[in-house]
Amino acid sequence: MKAKTTKSSDGDPVSISKWIHKFRQSKDDHTWWTTFGLILCLTMATRLYRLDSPDHVAWDETHFGKMASWYINRTFFFDVHPPTGKMLIAAFGYLTGYDGKFEFEKPGQKFDETHYLGMRFGCTMMGAALVPMAFITVWELTHALPAATFAAAAILFDNGMVTLNQYILLDPILMFFIMGAAMGQSKFYNQRHNPFTVSWWSWMAFTGAMLAGAISVKFVGLFVVVLVGLYTIKDIWDILGDLSYPISYTVKHFLARALCLILLPTVLYMFAYYVHFTVLSKSGPGDGHFGSAFQSQLEGNSLHNASMPREICYGAGVTLKNHRTAGAYLHSHPHLYPPEAGPVQQQVTTYSHKDYNNIWLVKRYDVDMPSEEEEAQPDFKPECVKSGDLIRLEHEATSRNLHSHRHPAPVTKRHFQVSGYGENGTGDSNDVWRIELVDGKEGDQINVVTDRFRLIHYMVGCALFSHNKQLPKWGYEQQEVTCNPNTRAEFALWNFEENYYDKLPNVSFAIYQPSFLEKFFEAHMVQFQGNAGLKPKEGEVTSRPWQWPIDYQGQWFSIGDPDKREPGPHKDHEIRIYMMGNPVIWWGNLGFIALYAVIYVWNFVSSARGVRESAQERVRKANLTYACNWLMLAWALHYFPFYGMGRILYYHHYFPAQLFISMMSGVLVNYMLESLPRAVPSFRVDQTWTAFAVVYLSILTYSFYLFAPLTYGMSGPEKKEPGHRYDHLLWMDSWEF
Amino acid sequence: MAVEDSDLRQRKKKSPKKATDAITGQVVDDDEDLVKTGIEKLKKIKKSLVASSDSDEPDTKSKPKPSRSAAASSSAPASGGVQPHHGFDGVALLLLVGGLLTRLHQLGLPRAIVFDELHFGKFAGYYVNNMFFFDSQPPLGKQLLALAAHFAGFDGNFNFDRIGSEYPEGFPVYALRLLPAVAGSLLLPASYCLLRQLGVSRPAAGLAGLLLLLDNAVLVQSRFMLMEPFLLLFSVLGVFCLVRFRHYRERPFSLPWLGWLTAGFVFLGAATSVRYSGLLTLLLGAVIVCRDFWTLIPDRRVTSGQLLAQLAARALAVLAVPLLVYGASFYAHLTVLHKAGAHDNVMTSAFQASLDGGLASIIQNQPLEVGHGSQVTLRHTLGRTCWLHSHEGVYPVKYDDDRGSSHQQQVSCYSYKDVNNWWIVKQPDIDDMRVTSPFKPVKHGDIIQLVHGMTSRALNSHDEVSCYIDYNISMPAQNLWKVELLNGKDTGNVWHAIVSQVRLIHQPSGTALKFTGQQLPDWGHNQLEVTCDKVVQQDDTIWNAEEHRYTLAEGSEKQQEDMAGAEMLPLSSARLSLWAKFTELQLKMLFNNQETVQGHMYASDPLDWLSLKRGVAYWISPDSNAQVHFLGNAAVWLAASASLAAYAGIMGIYLLRRRRECYDIPEDEWDKMCDLGLIVLLGFALNYLPYFIIDHTFFLHHYLPAYIFAVLMSACIVDHVFVLLGRVAGGWLRLPAAAGVLLWLAAAVYTFIRFSVVTYGTTPLSAPEVQALAWRDTWDLIVHKP
Repeated sequence: MKAKTTKSSDGDPVSISKWIHKFRQSKDDHTWWTTFGLILCLTMATRLYRLDSPDHVAWDETHFGKMASWYINRTFFFDVHPPTGKMLIAAFGYLTGYDGKFEFEKPGQKFDETHYLGMRFGCTMMGAALVPMAFITVWELTHALPAATFAAAAILFDNGMVTLNQYILLDPILMFFIMGAAMGQSKFYNQRHNPFTVSWWSWMAFTGAMLAGAISVKFVGLFVVVLVGLYTIKDIWDILGDLSYPISYTVKHFLARALCLILLPTVLYMFAYYVHFTVLSKSGPGDGHFGSAFQSQLEGNSLHNASMPREICYGAGVTLKNHRTAGAYLHSHPHLYPPEAGPVQQQVTTYSHKDYNNIWLVKRYDVDMPSEEEEAQPDFKPECVKSGDLIRLEHEATSRNLHSHRHPAPVTKRHFQVSGYGENGTGDSNDVWRIELVDGKEGDQINVVTDRFRLIHYMVGCALFSHNKQLPKWGYEQQEVTCNPNTRAEFALWNFEENYYDKLPNVSFAIYQPSFLEKFFEAHMVQFQGNAGLKPKEGEVTSRPWQWPIDYQGQWFSIGDPDKREPGPHKDHEIRIYMMGNPVIWWGNLGFIALYAVIYVWNFVSSARGVRESAQERVRKANLTYACNWLMLAWALHYFPFYGMGRILYYHHYFPAQLFISMMSGVLVNYMLESLPRAVPSFRVDQTWTAFAVVYLSILTYSFYLFAPLTYGMSGPEKKEPGHRYDHLLWMDSWEF
Repeated sequence: MAVEDSDLRQRKKKSPKKATDAITGQVVDDDEDLVKTGIEKLKKIKKSLVASSDSDEPDTKSKPKPSRSAAASSSAPASGGVQPHHGFDGVALLLLVGGLLTRLHQLGLPRAIVFDELHFGKFAGYYVNNMFFFDSQPPLGKQLLALAAHFAGFDGNFNFDRIGSEYPEGFPVYALRLLPAVAGSLLLPASYCLLRQLGVSRPAAGLAGLLLLLDNAVLVQSRFMLMEPFLLLFSVLGVFCLVRFRHYRERPFSLPWLGWLTAGFVFLGAATSVRYSGLLTLLLGAVIVCRDFWTLIPDRRVTSGQLLAQLAARALAVLAVPLLVYGASFYAHLTVLHKAGAHDNVMTSAFQASLDGGLASIIQNQPLEVGHGSQVTLRHTLGRTCWLHSHEGVYPVKYDDDRGSSHQQQVSCYSYKDVNNWWIVKQPDIDDMRVTSPFKPVKHGDIIQLVHGMTSRALNSHDEVSCYIDYNISMPAQNLWKVELLNGKDTGNVWHAIVSQVRLIHQPSGTALKFTGQQLPDWGHNQLEVTCDKVVQQDDTIWNAEEHRYTLAEGSEKQQEDMAGAEMLPLSSARLSLWAKFTELQLKMLFNNQETVQGHMYASDPLDWLSLKRGVAYWISPDSNAQVHFLGNAAVWLAASASLAAYAGIMGIYLLRRRRECYDIPEDEWDKMCDLGLIVLLGFALNYLPYFIIDHTFFLHHYLPAYIFAVLMSACIVDHVFVLLGRVAGGWLRLPAAAGVLLWLAAAVYTFIRFSVVTYGTTPLSAPEVQALAWRDTWDLIVHKP
């Protein structure tokens, strides 16, 4: 398309109009490849321009860069997103000579000698692939070259898309897979008349692989899985309705899809986790998020290669871990609660470090058994703790019993205080706890590490509980332990982690080694908890979904380094990057959504009311409906679910949805242009068509050029300061650049 | 069924002509069944003819068709024509009597505050006393209770302090609980009539009513001063009216057509005005009406003009009617509650000033224009109520995270009225604090200083907001603030007390004074944090002067009088229009962050509701284990949940079979099943699924609106099974099926009686008796006495 405008200066109107005619007809392979090649060149030019700047950590690069380093160093870490995206980034880094030594401490940190460009280049290439893939997708949906071109242009010239794709982030990778799945789906759809051929199988498998990629980068990849799922159902429905085939034919189709679109993605997804667990074999910052058994597999963790008795028996010294993400150990120390925190007794807390004060002795509630004489006998058999037993926990270092009573807890006043009480293990009836195994029945033996249990206070009936709330200074800011009257509370579960008892044979911890599937599921539980925990804090200004389509506010990627910024000529060298969608395209897209709704209703009503139309016109409308419905559905699936999400949301969450709506704009613009023959005299059609198309593309290009400083770097004074260079671009008050 | 199936298929193979013959009179034997099948067959042929003409030969579309297009009739309700009878009959009457008997039985007991009566009883008292209160749910239900309270002679003087407190002698418990109980009783015949309208047989519809009668959860919820009985009744009645309205499809704009349409949305609007969750059933109504319109479009018998008129009428009914009902309930709310009350300070100063007493009496006679020498309290206008505050006490030298601080005097936002909330407005160039003569009002854009009244230190900001103490170090005071009036146009750009919304922009940094919502640690006495923010355009940077007086000179008393006389706050300006009050209240209700109790003992997840995992303890007797526990009838509950799956399964099979052109059931039964899907299943889904995406603490009673639809569905499934069995092997299978239903009913009755002790809560129970009722270990019935 660009070629056409530039060629026009050559002054050969006949060949140009011929070319445009071919372009409109979309029949010619040569034209197709010319257009495609041109778009490819433009894409590379816009994406690779100033890829190396800023030469410091921008925005979330601080997270994903850090994670890439962890992969390269093989240290275990925890993140709420699945691993594929980060592993790809790590792979880009590894292959281009990044050594994993850079800290990625905070945005603004200079890269200096670090080989960071490889990672940026890898992400950018995946992001750049969006444009040609959008082109192909729309081509498959419409078989109209102009529609594909307009669609690709709307993504190509979107400043926000360029910005988001130029950095070490998960988003370019996620969008690559989403777009890949969409492209595969549309390719596959067009193979529907030759089922079970090689290309039919391969496009379906391609779609399945892309789905696996999408969902294993971020969980929002699920939306594209739903999209493909819905279309597969529709597909099967159509096949079922074809009475010329027996039902077994439908079953065959169904099984093929189950294989490629369910089984294959599942296997690939799990394989990603397999690689993740295999690569991250060393202890690291993520250990504490996982259970004791999991930790025992990490080199360098204190549980690695440990050995201890399996059963918990009376007389053993144990540590108790609160069974939740980053749960800490039950702890006590010889300091008392201050008078304002209830009865002045010894503090009980949870503490995340391993420490002698975490050790408790398990005793029968009534007697100090077994006595030393008994233990000394050769045929001594230790008695072990069973679910439902009444027990007493004595703090080994201070010989005080775990105790609770009807006094409010220090921080959470609805709960009861838990303290250390008694002298040398002799306390009162408030020291008695009933141990209740979860997923087990009364009388079941309790094992170390694997079994979860509750400790119910015998007298009050509340459950030993801990959470993230910290005690004030007097409690050394350790976490509060309470007795919760709601015994079903989520954090009232504990497990024994260490178990010292020399009367029982030690077994190697290796037997608790979780299988891959157990690790896989545990990682998911932890991830879901982590995601649910990403709540905005009170008073924090967060991005809301309604703001996104109207381009209400962008996102700073780089603010230079405000501390080091000094007045004077230095200022000009600071580069600021502001990710914000091209408002012309974004607002235009909103208009296209409304326009499509009107056209859809209009077409439905006119056909339902029996308006006479040519067969060609009906086909044209049916094609529009097919393509646009599909893209609208994709957009809605990638946008509306965010309204229901409680977690913290960001502006860049909208970009996958934006891809689909940009593609729809291409289809719709082409439809409108092809409707011209009805409005213009026939000999003017070609000229008008060209004029409109050129104007449309020029607007896109010019607006991209206008907002390009946001993408490639702004300098000079900030907003509202004198001499701000971008005042003419501040079309909305809410924009911050 | 299998027999019938093959039978049908065989007939399908007959030529159309033969089939037509079968119904055009050649049938001499009186085999009704055969005739029926023949009619179906004809319908089908007609349909397939139309369908084929639709898809293959579109040109035939434009040809005028003299005969009635059968395409439209497929979407019409099963019975096709008008059902003259609204379905209220002896069975309905019996249900009503049964409902009244169970609901009114010992209605006055327990004579103590049960569960949310705590709130609704209190609100009724406020209505009786015309005192303003704030609640995040709409008022209609509370007004109905208040009406009962009014007629029962309740004087509103009872302090609802906590759940379980005894009602005093003379408190009309019975009267207040009567209205919900009656509504809960009417729910049974209403549900019965709704099913009858949907074409369900009389025994099955009666069964639905009986199941609702036997459900302990519905019963508990109907017996106390709660909102759900109204919500449920209005929802069911609304849907009933709309189904009735659908029967008049062929007679648009006739009196019943208009009447039922309007009545339907009046009820649904009323449901929404009781609780916002009524919106979900309103949505169901809108979907029904819109979908019917959509299917009307291809109907060529309807002219385009008629279509437009229908569109207008339906849109008006969907949008305007509920809005009118909703608006009316708020009109009553705001007119009745004209006195200041307990929850005033949730609202803006202007709103409070419009209420009798309270703030209005304080600010009466206070001067209007703020200027140099004005003493004001500055209120955080939107969101949480608090006033700009300072006190002796400085920021710690180092914060917990080791950041250093300015060590200046603390400034915070304080939620209570306090002498330390007073500030004096001062122009930077005048040192005397007294008001000048002539008086200098502060205008939009003026630069001022704010001097804290009790400590005489000026509001200052270096990153953190403080009152400046001159330590004689290199940190100079930065205590100039620019006044930006948001609504300056209304007041001629002069800062007025109460009404002007002000942003204080720090000079020269350009940051705005902001309330952050965070609590300061202990050193700040847990007051709320105030900072300066670069982002100026946000709600939390808006302040307004609330209380206001002038700093007056000792001597010139005459001047004082002049000023007080001239600048009197005109009372009329404090009168907000009803519309302004309505919109403010709506916004407040919309954005009111209810402090939700996380991890409440009896909270439950939407997924738990289907299996009746947890109940809610409503009340426990202080002397015994007698208690009211909100828990459904397990026999009814689980069957209701299962019936939803059964419907989906049955319809799934039919759909797949129909796709292969196997028609297993008569066409009118099929249409009926489709209608049930549109109304009952969709009603359930709309009332249930949204709870998954709302992030809030929920209880089992949030499920009740959806649950009603689930119970209706279980009766519909029974109905359908009997229709199916009637077509197989002469129908004798219906006998064992009936026995099965009876067995199920017996189980329901048994469970009902078994749990009625914790439903009525009048029987003292022993600990083992209570434990015997905990059928699932997640049912936490309370045992606190042996």
